Amino acid sequence: MAVVLDGIAYGLQLALLAVGLTMIYGLGGVLNLAHGQFAVVTAISAALLMGNGMPTLPAVILGVLAGAVLALVIDGSIMRPVYRLHGENRVLLSLLITIGVAFVIDGLLIYNYPFTALNLGVSGPAINLLGVPMRRGSLAASLLALVALAALIVFLRYTRRGKAVRSIIEDEEGAMLCGINPSRVRTAVFALSGGLAGIAAVAEGMTSSLSATDGLNLTILALIVTVVGGLGSVAGALLAGLLLGIVYSLATFYIGAYVTFIILLVTAMVTILVRPSGLMGRGA
Amino acid sequence: MLTVEGLNAGYGDSVVVHDVSLQVADGEAVAVIGSNGAGKTTLLRAICGLLPARSGVVTYGDHALLGRPAYGIARLGVAYVPAERRLFPRMSALENLELGAYPARPDEQRLARVFELFPRLADRRRQHAGTMSGGEQQMLAVGRALMARPSLLILDEPTTGLAPILAEEAYTSLKVLRGEGTTVLVAEQQVPLALDLADRAYVIEDGRIQMDGPAAELQDNPDVRRAYLGIV
Repeated sequence: MAVVLDGIAYGLQLALLAVGLTMIYGLGGVLNLAHGQFAVVTAISAALLMGNGMPTLPAVILGVLAGAVLALVIDGSIMRPVYRLHGENRVLLSLLITIGVAFVIDGLLIYNYPFTALNLGVSGPAINLLGVPMRRGSLAASLLALVALAALIVFLRYTRRGKAVRSIIEDEEGAMLCGINPSRVRTAVFALSGGLAGIAAVAEGMTSSLSATDGLNLTILALIVTVVGGLGSVAGALLAGLLLGIVYSLATFYIGAYVTFIILLVTAMVTILVRPSGLMGRGA
Repeated sequence: MLTVEGLNAGYGDSVVVHDVSLQVADGEAVAVIGSNGAGKTTLLRAICGLLPARSGVVTYGDHALLGRPAYGIARLGVAYVPAERRLFPRMSALENLELGAYPARPDEQRLARVFELFPRLADRRRQHAGTMSGGEQQMLAVGRALMARPSLLILDEPTTGLAPILAEEAYTSLKVLRGEGTTVLVAEQQVPLALDLADRAYVIEDGRIQMDGPAAELQDNPDVRRAYLGIV
């Protein structure tokens, strides 16, 4: 039971990390391999601000904003040629450009801030949840992820702009015929996805620590969740995040931390073999 | 209000629509009739900004349409209902309708009017568009277009994929809209239905306008009768 709760807690974080990635893919056929780097930029910004004496809350909020602004800048500059292409060409160029962006961000951050890490160290006595003692950091991170995901779902389901986002994922031409400007919505969602990656980084900082070298790992985790859930499906990312979180937690408990990454990859492969378009993907 | 002059459009190296000119006046219903592959869809897509035109002039009121993005043309009050409907399959019928009014807030009166015109949509408002029947999807596509209170409604083959009786029903509802003064431009290969609805019609073949005139006259034209009405 404790293991499963831990898994759910971690799964919420995974889902939060992946929703931004899956939304961008659904909207524009762009696979952003710099997604983890947005999280890292948030983490390093927040850590630096806190190191300069800023209280935690404003530092973290500014950090998340930094992630969103970075996403906005990248979407408005180097991603422009990507949007001029269509179909497979767009996916391929987006892979090349975003992996380049990831290397540049990694290089700059690792060179300049090799020892900076975001460690929010939420501590204190464990809290009992359903009779299971849970670490405070883990609970706080789950709560943050839960609130962020709930806010995202409310936005997508009940607001006009959120419905516009979904309509583009469903049928871009249909959305245009309704007077929706897909490229503006895409830019806004790119920024949103940077911010969500940032919030995921903050959640991660509550349970462990996040440093400049973690970008690639986060991107890979987000990709696994996205692929298992079905590229472009927000609901799929939520489901896959929880599933993989539980798998991760069980694997760590029963086998050992050193193989969990492999087990996550195997889970992803099995899912793709059984359902090539993911749990909630189109045509599944 | 809609004027097309010397429009050329196509895909890649091939020009599909050659030097097409046509007019749709305020309150008029105009049909573009022709067989499959005559260039009707290409013509409409170029007018609506979904396909860049090679040359020509398209004006709507005071606005030049060519070069404008499709969403910009939609916001000018030109609603286009494509043959493939382009609905949002995993969203409810109600959400599809609401998005038709974007960026404005969906207007309750307008919604009530759409439900009055298509009572089946009211019954199925919670159902996902993708799970609806062909006839219902057609109603939903027209209903979505109407939500923006368009001043010009453009339809591409509204009978696509519909059984004959449903095709007739689709045209019955278009006639109701006509009666209310909605300006309509419709492309159709089911020529009798289109000529019955329209005031005027253009006959398009191989991407060129071959003939045009009042619908009643075309109905009696021996060439049109032979080619499209199946009457020898």
